[in-house]
Amino acid sequence: MKEPRKLPFIPGKPAAEVESELRFHLEHRIQANIAAGMTPDEARQAAVERFGDVEGVREECARLLTADRRTQRRRDWLDDFRQDLRFAARSAVGAPMFSLLAIVTLALGIGANAAVFGVVKSVLLNSLPYEDAGSLMRIRTPIKALGDEVGSVSAGTLSDLRERQRSFTTFGAWLSERDAIYDPGDMPQIVKTQWVEPSLFSTLGVRFIVGNNFREEDAGRDTAFVTVIPWKTWQTTFGGVPDVVGKQVRLNNIDRTVVGVLPRDFVMPEGDADYFYPMGIAPFMRDPISVRGSHNFGLVGRLKPGISFETADRELRAIGDELEKLYAKDNLGIGMIGQPLRDSIVGDTRTPLIVLLASAALVLLITCANLAGALLSRTISRRKEFAVRVALGAGRGRLVRQLLTESVLLAVAGGIAGVLLAMVLLGTLRSLSLEAIPRYADLSLDTGALIVTFFIALFTGLLFGLGPALSVGKSDPQSSLRDEARGSTESVRTRRLRGGLVAGQIALCLSLLAAAGLLGRSLWEMTHAPLGFSSDRLLTFTVQLPNARYPNATTRGNFHAQFTEQLKALPGVAGVAITSALPTTIANRNGLFVENRPWGPNEPVPFMVTSRVSDDYFAVFGIPVKQGRAFSSADIAGAPPVAVISQEMADRYWPNGDAVGSRFRWGPPNPDQPWTTVVGVAGNVRNSPTALRQEPMMFFPLRQQPFGDTFAVKTSGDPSVLTNAVRTALRGIDPGLPMYRVATMENVVDRGFAARRLPVLLMMGFGVLALLVSSVGIYAMFANMATAREREFGVRMALGSSRGAVASLVLQQGGVWMALGLILGAAGVFTTTRLIRSQLFGVGELDLLAIGAAVVVLLGCAGLALLVPVRKATRVDPITVLR
Amino acid sequence: MFDKESGLLQGTVELLVLKTLSWGPMHGYGVASWIETVTSDALRVEEGSLYPALYRMAQKGWISAEWGLSENNRKAKYYRLTGEGRRQLRKQMSGWQRFAAAVDAAITSTVAPSWSR
Repeated sequence: MKEPRKLPFIPGKPAAEVESELRFHLEHRIQANIAAGMTPDEARQAAVERFGDVEGVREECARLLTADRRTQRRRDWLDDFRQDLRFAARSAVGAPMFSLLAIVTLALGIGANAAVFGVVKSVLLNSLPYEDAGSLMRIRTPIKALGDEVGSVSAGTLSDLRERQRSFTTFGAWLSERDAIYDPGDMPQIVKTQWVEPSLFSTLGVRFIVGNNFREEDAGRDTAFVTVIPWKTWQTTFGGVPDVVGKQVRLNNIDRTVVGVLPRDFVMPEGDADYFYPMGIAPFMRDPISVRGSHNFGLVGRLKPGISFETADRELRAIGDELEKLYAKDNLGIGMIGQPLRDSIVGDTRTPLIVLLASAALVLLITCANLAGALLSRTISRRKEFAVRVALGAGRGRLVRQLLTESVLLAVAGGIAGVLLAMVLLGTLRSLSLEAIPRYADLSLDTGALIVTFFIALFTGLLFGLGPALSVGKSDPQSSLRDEARGSTESVRTRRLRGGLVAGQIALCLSLLAAAGLLGRSLWEMTHAPLGFSSDRLLTFTVQLPNARYPNATTRGNFHAQFTEQLKALPGVAGVAITSALPTTIANRNGLFVENRPWGPNEPVPFMVTSRVSDDYFAVFGIPVKQGRAFSSADIAGAPPVAVISQEMADRYWPNGDAVGSRFRWGPPNPDQPWTTVVGVAGNVRNSPTALRQEPMMFFPLRQQPFGDTFAVKTSGDPSVLTNAVRTALRGIDPGLPMYRVATMENVVDRGFAARRLPVLLMMGFGVLALLVSSVGIYAMFANMATAREREFGVRMALGSSRGAVASLVLQQGGVWMALGLILGAAGVFTTTRLIRSQLFGVGELDLLAIGAAVVVLLGCAGLALLVPVRKATRVDPITVLR
Repeated sequence: MFDKESGLLQGTVELLVLKTLSWGPMHGYGVASWIETVTSDALRVEEGSLYPALYRMAQKGWISAEWGLSENNRKAKYYRLTGEGRRQLRKQMSGWQRFAAAVDAAITSTVAPSWSR
């Protein structure tokens, strides 16, 4: 059989192809039949009969052919892809410096994003470690006078709420954590305990991994000495033994029996404890004063199915308003609100996280713009290669695809490096175990985060590859080939594209720098604003006195006096103060009732930050006593109750300056409470180092209210050196007392800033990264511009143009884009500063210093970056370039 | 020609097509006619059933299709044996021969089975 003449294979529609093939068959058969002597009609009928089911065959063949085509297309695509990939890898290896730089830049950009996303995912997206956490609500009581402050719930309110509400199935209340002494026999340690209602764990839907929840009847006071332990205590104190239920543990000289172990990922909605005790609110209901006067209970509720957060919140607000009217004496100015549990746990972390996420995205965008520019240069230098390929028959689409494959390959390589970087970063963050990050957040990259990162990388590759790829698709091979022969100048199109990319980088970079500058300045203001006391050379620590051995004011007072004497006798000690809470960490607030100035029916009771302090407290902390006196040895139990108040409190409630000598009552309203006399006015002390607001404060003498266990020792040298001497002195008095929370006062203050410092430092890190990347981009633009116009500059110089004139030509051309970038940046600054407004402290949203610094730094770096190319342009040797 | 009722195995169809195409590229009509000629019409059944077999073989990569001009200058779809097709032909030919020889040996045997003695 001889070879048939080939026709070009043009794949048509499968049905048409089959049709034409079958028709060919039938027609041949008819002709053969006619040749054999049949009439045309007979021939046709015989042919069809012999063929069989024409319709059926046609359909089956069309189906088979369609399927075949589909697999063929897939195979072709994969073949092309493999070829593209091979080619991309080869061209990446062919330009190792470019590839390395691109991958490193991408790794930084993608890594930053992956790490921040890992944190965001853990904190904001992962589910809380409770069953059906979406229907849990935190219930709080906003104290209207304190602005955004929200308080806890009183026993009375809790009981009323349970009766009135219709939105919740169950509630669980708890008290804030307390220290206790755990005594295994040899070495007493301080542990944290929390009283919780048995219904708390069931409301949260906790599944115990060993044992069970408290029983309801365990909640009665002193009926059952039982405890529930978290996973950590089970592992560390009980060695993780499976038969832990029934084991005894001695806490504050009381033996308690373990009844259950909480799961590993359990976290309290608020606080943290090593041991949980059962409580009921019945005993609190019996105390006529604190029943509504002490707002101590944290509260969560589980919504009934079908009830929305909004509905429940509305009901809570209504009940709050009702109770406020009903118990105006205690509840005036106190409302009630509900908040999704996650929001209450995430709290202040949300905004910084979103700011960081946005910053990381900006860095990545800058990276993209930069790499797009770099790739553009590379594409221009490879123009001849592409032109040859087009001339040899490569389709434009194929070339674009090829270039996109190259950029995506780079991006994926950068992405892999970035994920490794992110894992290191997250590991570091985990090891810092910051208070700013909720404890349920595991800070890891799970499959979801990895998939997101992969798509970020893919998208990045497409984003920075698209511009250059399209510029190739559009170029004309003929002119390229010719052009290349003659040394090249950039086309107007690519020059605009590159200029636009640089302008974009400058705009994004400026926005980021301005935000970083504002946050940096806020941090500086925050850490440098006077606190109102001196934290210099102070060693602080806590010694808790167990009730069993120090049952009353006398025994406590004796211990305080004796220990203070011994401490003062140590060499290098200049003074000793005892207080209930160190400055900047006071959580205790109490209501104020001024004598002869009753609060009106619509005036809520104001709350004062409250601290109990020893006589030397003001001297040791360097807090000036501006009027009257500090406490003295005369202010003992039994003597008239006295107080020192802060200047802010004096100004607010005794604006005529007659505070000293005036009297007030405090705490829950109680007509039997004796009046407390103001004996002195002290300088203001900021209680929250991260807020400028001065809160009114009152101080009571420790002798009259001996509830303070935190010591501050003023030293003449390095305070931390004294730790061991102090420990020995304490052991001399009572070897059963552990000394804990040992820190210098500077560290204590510093810890208050930690949560604020990290996002700011990260932000600044992002700013520096963005600045570096953009500088490289600016350098590249000017370098390319200068090289492209080298010949022209040569001509100009040959015709007598000065170096300055040439330099100004280059500067003008690039300067336009830089100016455009700055203008766009102004819009960006406006947007970003609004985003971070809530994070600012002591600086305006449009702080000229911060924004000006950002502009100067950016222009400075840009100036450095363009120096080399501009110099190079002015050094062009006319003879060399023109030859 | 090779439908189910004919009792011919699918593999037999494929073997015949492979053998036909081993002579050179041919269109479907040519393949059908050639098989009918060399088998002296002994396997004569509906010709239409040849086509699905051809498409399946093309999908398996044993044969490839291309358009060409037929002897009388008509556009026709030609099938050509691929390398894989050649290998298949060798394999299936020896398989068929073994099978045929075995069946032949059985039906022409003159040795009676033990239970008939």
